[in-house]
Amino acid sequence: MRAILAIARRELDQYFATPMGWLCLCGFVLVTGFFFALMTSDYAMQASQAAFDPYSQGQINVNDWLIAPFFGNTAVILLLLCPALSMRLFAEDRRQRSMELLLSSPVSSAQIVLGKYLGALGFLVVMLAATLHYSFILHWLGRPDPGILASNYLATFLMAACFMAVGMLASAFTDNQIVALVVSFGGLLALWVLSWADAIAPSGWGTVLADISMLSHLEQLTKGLLHLQDIVYYLSFIGFFVFATWQRVEAWRWQ
Amino acid sequence: MIRVEGLQKVYGGFEAVRGISFEVGRGEVVGLLGPNGAGKTTTMRIVCGCIGATAGRALIDGRDVLEDPRGVKRRVGYLPEVPPVYPTMTVEDYVRFAATIKEVDDPEAAADRAIGRVGLAEVRHRVIDHLSKGYRQRVGLAQALVHDPDVLVLDEPTSGLDPAQRVEIRELLRDLAAGERTVILSTHILPEVEAVAERVIIMHQGRVVAQDRIDALESGGAVRLRVARPGPEAEQALRAVPGVSEVEGRPDGRIDLRIDGSDDTRAAVAAAAVPFGLLELTGGDNLEAVYLRLTAGGEGPDPRENFGRGGVSSTVEA
Repeated sequence: MRAILAIARRELDQYFATPMGWLCLCGFVLVTGFFFALMTSDYAMQASQAAFDPYSQGQINVNDWLIAPFFGNTAVILLLLCPALSMRLFAEDRRQRSMELLLSSPVSSAQIVLGKYLGALGFLVVMLAATLHYSFILHWLGRPDPGILASNYLATFLMAACFMAVGMLASAFTDNQIVALVVSFGGLLALWVLSWADAIAPSGWGTVLADISMLSHLEQLTKGLLHLQDIVYYLSFIGFFVFATWQRVEAWRWQ
Repeated sequence: MIRVEGLQKVYGGFEAVRGISFEVGRGEVVGLLGPNGAGKTTTMRIVCGCIGATAGRALIDGRDVLEDPRGVKRRVGYLPEVPPVYPTMTVEDYVRFAATIKEVDDPEAAADRAIGRVGLAEVRHRVIDHLSKGYRQRVGLAQALVHDPDVLVLDEPTSGLDPAQRVEIRELLRDLAAGERTVILSTHILPEVEAVAERVIIMHQGRVVAQDRIDALESGGAVRLRVARPGPEAEQALRAVPGVSEVEGRPDGRIDLRIDGSDDTRAAVAAAAVPFGLLELTGGDNLEAVYLRLTAGGEGPDPRENFGRGGVSSTVEA
């Protein structure tokens, strides 16, 4: 356990030791901030218009009209950023040969993979924590449902943890970070839009595709509804890719 | 301490190591020699548990590297050819990290000791990326030493260093090799092996072609005689001496012999040559000549081809 935490800590520090980590963090805060400002003022306008319209008065609320779409946008931003954060996890170690330190140390491949993954999740937590002030602003301006806010954070974290797991596997297949970036971004995009195929796929297949897609499992969570099947989906998705990475790292020793 | 039995490693279709065996005793310093691609690095990586062997096994103190990788790795320090450093970390952070993942009880104290040992104290707060190659090599050594291993495996520890840095590292190695520590050291630089190792294992094309003490390898091998009355009779008499494997008369009247390494054989050769008027007995290859002869293959004519091949020492393996 100590070794896993040491590896995780090193990975997390690494993000802050390179421009890439800071660029992603600053970019994330800036872009989400921009979206938050834009969407908040947009919502304020709609709400004030609705105040004079008895028909839509009951419909509009901060949870469904502001929080859910905002986190939807945040997920898309993370879809773009996570491959850039996960690409170095193994590719960099192999390129600069520091992998030899890990391989010759008394740590198992599973410990290496878990340590690196936890390090990446740690950075994710830092990124999401950097958006916490938006919820304070919302509390100051209106009355958002804390439960819905929390479940949106959970959904975004789980979603991004999936992105990182896919990116980590891609990174374990190459010593070229750019290749890892492109492969993981392509793969994530495919998984993301799979639910859109629902419309064109023959019946039956459409629902299967939608079930595999990450997007369709996000819906209930953004409404504040914690369904076991969604949580299980995300956790098993992560588990699968972490396991695959573990197998991949183990295979290095036997190639 | 280290025992390697029938080790084989195949990468794709390429057989990098072809069933080698050797042993290294406790406290021994052994040089692993061989041209590029001889399989030295692969052998070292298997011994350290970085990669698995296709066949055969490596044992450290009786423990199989594959069956008990963690137990073995706790006792082995490995410095790869390229120091496995994280360029963005400081020296101190890096060595502490290495100490932690090597399961040292008190990583900070262990890191301090290792840093002091390899002479990194004045740069301990600097980022590794900003260090010279010599210092990076020391950082790599600190990482290999931090858990105070019984076995040190060093892959070309002085490659790419300037002569002054090379001397420094060599001094350090000699210091580290003192005591009970077992060291395997691979290198291209033969004087370096002679400076620190007692014994060498020479590899070529994935096989061990010789392993013996350096002095035995050097004294074994070639002897050249000059006698007053050369000829078939003299050659016949020399050929009859036990331990002589090859006798070849030269047009200038000298006789080249290939013998085993023992001094007894040498004395017997001298005695056999006396009746023919022994004028001169020279010989003994230096390590370089032994190395070049054993690792020649496919790259132009061997300058010492007239000596033939094989039969260099008692422990030569085909």
